[in-house]
Amino acid sequence: MTSGKKTKAARSSVAAARSSVVTKKSKPWGTIIAVVAVLALAGSVFGYAYSKISEKNAKEAALAQWVPSDTNKDPSDKIQGVVKKEYPAGKHVQPTQRVAYDLTPPYGGPHDSTWASCMGVVYTKAVRTENMVHSLEHGAVWIAYNPDQVSGEALDKLKSRADGQQFTMLSPYPGLDKPISLQSWGHQLKVDSADDERIDQFVKSLRRNQYTYPEVGASCDSSTFDVDNPPAFVAEKPGTDAVPMDGGVVDNQETGNTASVNPSAPATTGSAAPSTQPSS
Amino acid sequence: MSDVGQQRGVTATRAVVVTVAVVAVLLLGAAVGLLIRLPGSDGGAPAKDSVDVGFSQDMAAHHLQGVTMANLARDKSADTAIRQLAFDIESTQQEQVGRMKGWLSLWGMPEQSPDGTHMAWMEESSSHAHGSAEATGGVDLMPGMATSAELSKLRSLSGTEFDVYFLQLMLRHHQGGAPMAQYGATHASLAVVRTLADNMLKSQTSESEYMKQLLTARGAGPLP
Repeated sequence: MTSGKKTKAARSSVAAARSSVVTKKSKPWGTIIAVVAVLALAGSVFGYAYSKISEKNAKEAALAQWVPSDTNKDPSDKIQGVVKKEYPAGKHVQPTQRVAYDLTPPYGGPHDSTWASCMGVVYTKAVRTENMVHSLEHGAVWIAYNPDQVSGEALDKLKSRADGQQFTMLSPYPGLDKPISLQSWGHQLKVDSADDERIDQFVKSLRRNQYTYPEVGASCDSSTFDVDNPPAFVAEKPGTDAVPMDGGVVDNQETGNTASVNPSAPATTGSAAPSTQPSS
Repeated sequence: MSDVGQQRGVTATRAVVVTVAVVAVLLLGAAVGLLIRLPGSDGGAPAKDSVDVGFSQDMAAHHLQGVTMANLARDKSADTAIRQLAFDIESTQQEQVGRMKGWLSLWGMPEQSPDGTHMAWMEESSSHAHGSAEATGGVDLMPGMATSAELSKLRSLSGTEFDVYFLQLMLRHHQGGAPMAQYGATHASLAVVRTLADNMLKSQTSESEYMKQLLTARGAGPLP
């Protein structure tokens, strides 16, 4: 009995000793701390880099959404309030003619063969619409404002967006139905305030956007246009002799030919077909 | 038996340490990969805030005003030397603008500074000196650029008065663009950009000398 007890006690003490040895071997605290520390360090470095990068990517994505690209040809599609319409390009009228534009202000259609200078010009007086529309065809953005509704600080904000900013022009447009209207070829946005963030979004999306204006590379310098004394805006509605929206002539400057354009779409108005050929 | 247990413990510990070491190295590698963009990984297109993009956008705009003034001189001047100079400036700069806008198009970047300010790409050195937040921004009017009022005055003149004022504005325009060309020639990442910038610097420097001579011959000097 005693010997059995002794044996048992000895056995248990051996087991205890053994287990203590095993415990000591399986819990190397130094190694555990080192391992956790290295993991934590590596994890936080990665976490820092990841958060920095996603912040930067988010910022760039916010900016890039207004930059035209092959996958985002017309960023203005995402701007609330932009209206679009397709117009055939390159139809010209004479300086003495008027165009019966379909919209106010127009942003496409026949236009004078001389374009208004759009090298960052602030026009203080309203300019003949037929010249302004031609500049849109060259990739410019035209900021028009109602002179009765926009002045002082608001007007200064518009000026800063146009003065010296190439491919941009600003002019008053008497009778405009909203304080401010932005035009690029085939696009328009009307806003109430010069502080509206959509103004800059419109300019970034559409000014010289190679996917949306017809004559890529065309100039905003205009040697035959008098910037300091431009042809004046005409407030009266155009008469019956005005060139219709599907009229105008195609100038072929290379050969010197001037061909009359037959409206491809059937005329919807007018019993007498208006002459599209300029009277010389 | 105790040796085997010990052996097992050591093996397990080693496995854990090695695994953690591998994970840590992978995490650090991933972090470095996020922070460093290897050249060529994005088809070689320079970043939005790079010297290459900033130089191309701003120099194109700077050049285009040179074209505007040269066009005026070709239309208005009766002086053969002025008309010849104007044609040279207009045709050269227009062609160079085409190069720069072509690059920008390839890089998927806007043709002109989207926020209307300029020169932020040249602020690298000064922003390091200042420290931090004010590094962005840029200026509204680039050095040498004529204001709308100056352009209007140029259009209003004629005869020798026009020729002299054209030379004065164009000389200041060339001189203002020189530091931009200098910076592009030394800091742009792409050789094609550095080469064009360097060429502009050289040709415009000699053209500036020529314009000084033309001014002297007309009894005038540079703008104060």
